[in-house]
Amino acid sequence: MAKIYEDLSLLIKRSKLTFIILSVILFLVLAFYWKIQIWDHQKYWKMAEANHLRSLPIPAPRGLIYDRQKIILADNQPSFKVSWLKEAIKADQPVIEPVSQLLNLGPEELKSRIERYRWLQPFEPVVIKDNLKLEEVAVIEARKEEFPELQLQVEPRRFYSFGSTAAHVLGYLQEVSPEELKSNSNRKWRGGEMIGKSAVEKQYDDYLTGQAGQLIETVDSQGRSLGEVNRIEPIKGQDLILSIDLDLQKRAEELLQGKEGAVVVLDPKTGECLAWVSSPSYDPNRFITRFSPEEWLSIISDPAKPLENRVIRGLYSPGSIFKIVTALTSLETGIISDRTTFFCSGSLNLYGQDFACWFKPGHGSLNLPEAIKNSCNVYFYQLGRRLTVDTIARYARTLGLGKATGVDIPGEKDGLVPSTDWKRKAQGEAWFPGETISVSIGQGPVLVTPLQVAALTACVANRGIKIRPRVTRVDGQKTPEQERTGLDSDLFEKIIEGLWRSVNEGGTGHGAYQPGFEICGKTGSTQVISREKAEKMIERGEVPAKTHSWFSGFAPRNDPRIVVTVLVEFGGMGGQTAAPLAGEIFKVYREKYVRQANLQGN
Amino acid sequence: MLDRRIFREIDWTTILLMVLISVIGIIFVHSAIYYQASQYVWKQVLWLAVSLAVLSVLLMIDYKVLLSFAFPFYILMNVILAGLLIFGRRIANTRSWLVFGPFQFQPSELTKLAVILLLARLFSSYKEEQMSFRAFLLSSGLVGLPFILIALQPDLGTALTFIPVLLGAYILAGLPKKYVILILIVSLLAGLVGWNYGLKDYQKKRIETLLVPGQDPRGAGYQLQQSKIALGSGGLTGKGYHKGTQSQLRFLPARQNDFILAVVGEDLGFLGILMVFGLFFIFLYRLFMATQVSPDRAGVYIAFLAAMLIGCQFLINIMMIVGLFPITGIPIPFLSYGGSSLLSNFLIVGLVINVKMRRFAYVRF
Repeated sequence: MAKIYEDLSLLIKRSKLTFIILSVILFLVLAFYWKIQIWDHQKYWKMAEANHLRSLPIPAPRGLIYDRQKIILADNQPSFKVSWLKEAIKADQPVIEPVSQLLNLGPEELKSRIERYRWLQPFEPVVIKDNLKLEEVAVIEARKEEFPELQLQVEPRRFYSFGSTAAHVLGYLQEVSPEELKSNSNRKWRGGEMIGKSAVEKQYDDYLTGQAGQLIETVDSQGRSLGEVNRIEPIKGQDLILSIDLDLQKRAEELLQGKEGAVVVLDPKTGECLAWVSSPSYDPNRFITRFSPEEWLSIISDPAKPLENRVIRGLYSPGSIFKIVTALTSLETGIISDRTTFFCSGSLNLYGQDFACWFKPGHGSLNLPEAIKNSCNVYFYQLGRRLTVDTIARYARTLGLGKATGVDIPGEKDGLVPSTDWKRKAQGEAWFPGETISVSIGQGPVLVTPLQVAALTACVANRGIKIRPRVTRVDGQKTPEQERTGLDSDLFEKIIEGLWRSVNEGGTGHGAYQPGFEICGKTGSTQVISREKAEKMIERGEVPAKTHSWFSGFAPRNDPRIVVTVLVEFGGMGGQTAAPLAGEIFKVYREKYVRQANLQGN
Repeated sequence: MLDRRIFREIDWTTILLMVLISVIGIIFVHSAIYYQASQYVWKQVLWLAVSLAVLSVLLMIDYKVLLSFAFPFYILMNVILAGLLIFGRRIANTRSWLVFGPFQFQPSELTKLAVILLLARLFSSYKEEQMSFRAFLLSSGLVGLPFILIALQPDLGTALTFIPVLLGAYILAGLPKKYVILILIVSLLAGLVGWNYGLKDYQKKRIETLLVPGQDPRGAGYQLQQSKIALGSGGLTGKGYHKGTQSQLRFLPARQNDFILAVVGEDLGFLGILMVFGLFFIFLYRLFMATQVSPDRAGVYIAFLAAMLIGCQFLINIMMIVGLFPITGIPIPFLSYGGSSLLSNFLIVGLVINVKMRRFAYVRF
């Protein structure tokens, strides 16, 4: 029989020898562990007691926010905060009292501030007071040996250089809430960190937020720092340039001073907003601190709602501005041409109901441009009776109403474009033909935001190309986001003729007229109270200023560069309040941009 | 065809030891990083389950079949490693990872398996008492290629684990004295050149730290100092599970990987260390002794190289964390956190079990 197994004895011998050598090393190493763990135990035990490590975050400065001229709108300023180090404390109780005296806080208040972040890791510091005054800093610094559980740190604090200016574009910061902290799985935020809570600060939070650094230091058993072990420097967040023009923004805010309303100025080609005003405003500097319940409460309980961003969250009836939509719908569906005339006698009886024109004596016989110029209601009632509400709704949506514009500020509302479906769902009722008549002049349940009106105006100015509004600069390389409505540009020319006459030939928009600047625009007045109630008020000798006042227009006519939309709440007729205000903005724009360009051109 | 009798020969004790050490590892990974443990622990538990499943598949296939695929497998792994260097995404500054959804895998770990199979294949018909120069060069080159590819990732720690495997091949094949001298000269030269050009500053620091411990407790010596304090303060019985680690080792990077034994030593003291050493001693004994029951030469090589790989990784790590070896980023097999290395270690030991269970099937009358 042949040999079944090979002779492997030499290999096995070598293997055994290797194992023996490795085992000897293993036992020698074990002896070394014995030395460390048993022999030198006392020494290392003492070292362990004396030598603790502590990691502290070093906050990173947020990126700055500039206007389009590179003026700083949101800056950082050094500010002192004091944190509570749980780790350094054996028991809370005995130190609460002296610390609360040192910081001039009630013991209960101090406890609640510590308790808020009780669930954090023991080595993460909890901010208990920030935005300290220099005297407070001096006191804490002088007595730091007595209070190892307190840690004084400088942090960059947001400072809005122009206070309430552009507050609704910039937004504000607040401390990250415990709920947000618990839900953030990737540990993006730490407890006590300030994060963007609205507008640009929120939308671009990731972009603006830097990367926090880390300081590792050794501390003694009392929690006193013995020195740095390692330091990772924080990385500042990226800077952001807004499309806002500070001069225009300030002027627009001045013009709305004391009124409630909104102004949007944008570039119809790129969608870049040059001014964005929601009035009344607020000073975000007042509550960029972690502990300011009084100021915060006073702002959120203000009946004028200064925090509300009216530009994108204010829902208003568009009033006569909506006539642009009705006119485009009628031209596109072919029920009229721009030369079709109707007769206005001051009112029109339809479906057994009287529908009045705002001009009681009546406009007489007029065509479409004249009807837009004079904002004649009867003309548009005539269009409304020839259209269905669903057709109007379809074109209103095509033109961008009824859904958010997609601007880069969060919280935008959709508005409302009514249709038969909507009414059936929302109110469980059928649509009445009479309601279509109201809708045709922008009354009834139509709701828009000022930004939607500005976007609609830009679409008209572009002869049918929609843009997405934005508050940041468009990257030079990229083309701005545009979308075609599919409507013929000729239709828009016919509307624009009427808008031009409205401002330049003594129409309702005459208040916006600026010599030498080809402004085209439309006014709107929306009845907040019923006409009967208004008439009763006049009988009683009161002034019925209970209508919202709109103006939205663009200029120049043939090469539109600017869209201005103004809404003044309870401003009265659009031609009286909103149009002159818009005219003033057109003037400022022209002086700054057009004149300069002309001078340079010459 | 599968002979059912071979399943009676499965070495359950070795499998049990692997699982036991892995479970101890998971328990102490939890202690090391308890506040972010859940994801780590569950991932590792999942990897353990995957490893057991793949192991049972591996045992079905005769190792001789595996050996016949050794060369294509080796080529494939090197292509993947080269591809990673060119196309790989950088994760934690190295190009070591293949990413599949939530899981990441290090091909360098599986390359160990390929290298062991290839060397076993190469020497299976090598019956000389001493190694020829040709075999010496060939084996060195075949291990050198993946070594360089992995070192370039850069992952020096994983690359270095190939050295014991090559050394194992030298030992088993019988290296003449003149080659030993040659190796010494080459490694001395490589050391000099590497010191001046190849090693990064922090790596040099680590070696300097080893030579003069405690000279720089806040810099490179800091990790070592901390792990020694953790072990030393653990004493005989330790501070208790979850009690120690957080104060001493919190800032040690990779404490769930390379410094896991320091966590065990702090929590359970010298008795805990004794337990881990004891388990590994039994485990290594069984691996080395598998060479005695191997039916053929290739089987001896598989068992011996696997034992060298596991044994030397363990020895280097236990020496590293007390300052007897430079800190090179070599984890303890099965005990340290890491899915890819767990899987590859299971497979490597699986090869040995595979050899042992087929020792009788060889004989046919």
